[in-house]
Amino acid sequence: MKSLKKMFAVLLALTLVLSMAACGGTGNDGGDGDGDGGAASGLSGKKISVMTPYLGSVTTNQMVEFLKSGLEAGGAEVTVVNTDNDFGALASRIEDVVAAGTDGIVLVSADPNQVANQLQEAFDADIPVFGCDSGFIEGMQVNATSDNYQMGELIVKYLFDDLMGGKGTVIALTHRPHPGVVKRCEAFDDIIKDYPDIKLITEQHVPAEQPINDAQDIVENLLLANPDKDSVTAIWAAWDEPAIGATQALKEAGRDEVIVTGVDGNEQAISLIKEGTNLKATVQQNFEGMAQIVVDQMTKLFDGEELEKGEMYAPATLITPENAE
Amino acid sequence: MKSGKIGVKYIVQTYGTILAMLAIIIIFSILRPDSFCTVRNFINITRQISLLVIISIGATMVMSVNEFDLSVGSMASLGGVMAALLAVNGQPLALCFILPILICFAIGWVNGWIVARFRVLSFITTLGMSTVLSGVIYKLTGGATVFQNIPQGFAWLGTKKFGEIPLLSVLMILFVAAFWFLMRHMSIGRKMYAIGGNEEAAKISGINVAKYKNMAFAFCAVLACITGMLVASRVGSANTTAGDGYFLQSYAAVFIGCTVSRQGVPNVAGTLIGAAILGILANGLTIMQSPTYMQDIITGSIIILAVIAQKLGQGDAK
Repeated sequence: MKSLKKMFAVLLALTLVLSMAACGGTGNDGGDGDGDGGAASGLSGKKISVMTPYLGSVTTNQMVEFLKSGLEAGGAEVTVVNTDNDFGALASRIEDVVAAGTDGIVLVSADPNQVANQLQEAFDADIPVFGCDSGFIEGMQVNATSDNYQMGELIVKYLFDDLMGGKGTVIALTHRPHPGVVKRCEAFDDIIKDYPDIKLITEQHVPAEQPINDAQDIVENLLLANPDKDSVTAIWAAWDEPAIGATQALKEAGRDEVIVTGVDGNEQAISLIKEGTNLKATVQQNFEGMAQIVVDQMTKLFDGEELEKGEMYAPATLITPENAE
Repeated sequence: MKSGKIGVKYIVQTYGTILAMLAIIIIFSILRPDSFCTVRNFINITRQISLLVIISIGATMVMSVNEFDLSVGSMASLGGVMAALLAVNGQPLALCFILPILICFAIGWVNGWIVARFRVLSFITTLGMSTVLSGVIYKLTGGATVFQNIPQGFAWLGTKKFGEIPLLSVLMILFVAAFWFLMRHMSIGRKMYAIGGNEEAAKISGINVAKYKNMAFAFCAVLACITGMLVASRVGSANTTAGDGYFLQSYAAVFIGCTVSRQGVPNVAGTLIGAAILGILANGLTIMQSPTYMQDIITGSIIILAVIAQKLGQGDAK
């Protein structure tokens, strides 16, 4: 019995070690090779922690890759930390890197308000904190982002004016817990008030684990509730993944007349726009531009310059069948 | 008079969950006769629950030997990711779908082996395994959704329809039938239930407990893997966390399913009904265009009520 207990303890330890190795080990490989030969930038030799709960998202991943290569080009040592949708774990990992004396933190696609206490520890330890499409709270250096409200405005106005001609019905697919997405939703809320001839059929929340699949189910069900042709004029999705799911559901149901729009400009969405499907437009965020802003500002800071703290915007562009590529 | 009371009790106990499901169907049918109560929608529901049912059958088997597998979610994500990566890599499609099954079978076997050999709590073992698998997925994908250059044929399993009937619905029925038969009428099923009922007694009566636990975990892993691959095939991309959403839902389906059996044990037919209740609620409430928070509140409450009803029924019976 005693040996069994021991065995259990050993196994537990082994499991933990294994799981830590599996999670932690990935940050350091992949990018080796560049980073050497960097100029005498202030970034050189700095340990930077790039942290996100959403690495599975195509766009977040894109930003993390840009950040990693940009910072490593300056000679920094980059560790990527991903917590798979878990903000509690993100908070703990921030505490860990602060305790480990990291030289800088970049928070990617995560609302800093949700980890404010942990970031405060970083501020207290004089560790500079940057946001990349995250949000800005007092104490941070710079958050590079698109103006999500303006992106919302851009796509909602294009949808309402150019695609719908100022009238009809619309379904909204949203995810308000996300700091960027909620601003687009607010733009939608504000603008629809000015269009008395556009009726919101329903707003549905799409969970983040498998948004394409879930949006497909939701739209399929909503189409059954609105079976007549032209009973739904448009589906407005607050980001591209549910727009893709909606497009697949509409295609399956043969409802060619329904217009879909997304936001983000991910590659799958752009190729659907190009193919002439229900998906008619999206707004492409300049993720590369955001990552570049962070890299530039970080370099400035470590070169000893004082930064102007606050939000910095990378401009977004409207993607339609005419300019999709 | 007394016998009448027992009669009602007997019916509620035996058929309560099924009656509840029928009640839900009737309510939605009255409220939305044109859109909910149509053949097309019922076909839709079967497709929408098909993936949940397949993964839940696996959870049913593990629970029948009185264990838990918390790694089903990441196992499903892993299955989808491996299949998609193989497809992107240009491997023949058959291999894309078979190789992940073999790998997950082995991982499931390891789960079972650890639990049976070291008598470790399956809860913590599979929790650890789940974390390991998340790491493996991260390593394989760099954390990114796999969607570029997936060949057209990859979507066949998830999107094919025979007339109006989706292949996914057909697969679900085949899986339910096969595993219902396996658990109900074959010796492997009876032995698993014997182990779940009383492990010591099962051992004394000569059942190889370790072997059947291994099998339960291996089957569970394979079914989770298949679910993950079908999700990836359906949406044309493999999200690294696609399986997470199924983990809690599958156990909800199994627990509701337990209330269908008079002994309160996990069973395949019950799991189908459990998943159907969850699926019908999601479908009906979306058709009603009820806001998401109401859907969550109603679905959660019904899960709780179902298990309370079961306990009350059991208490009275004793």
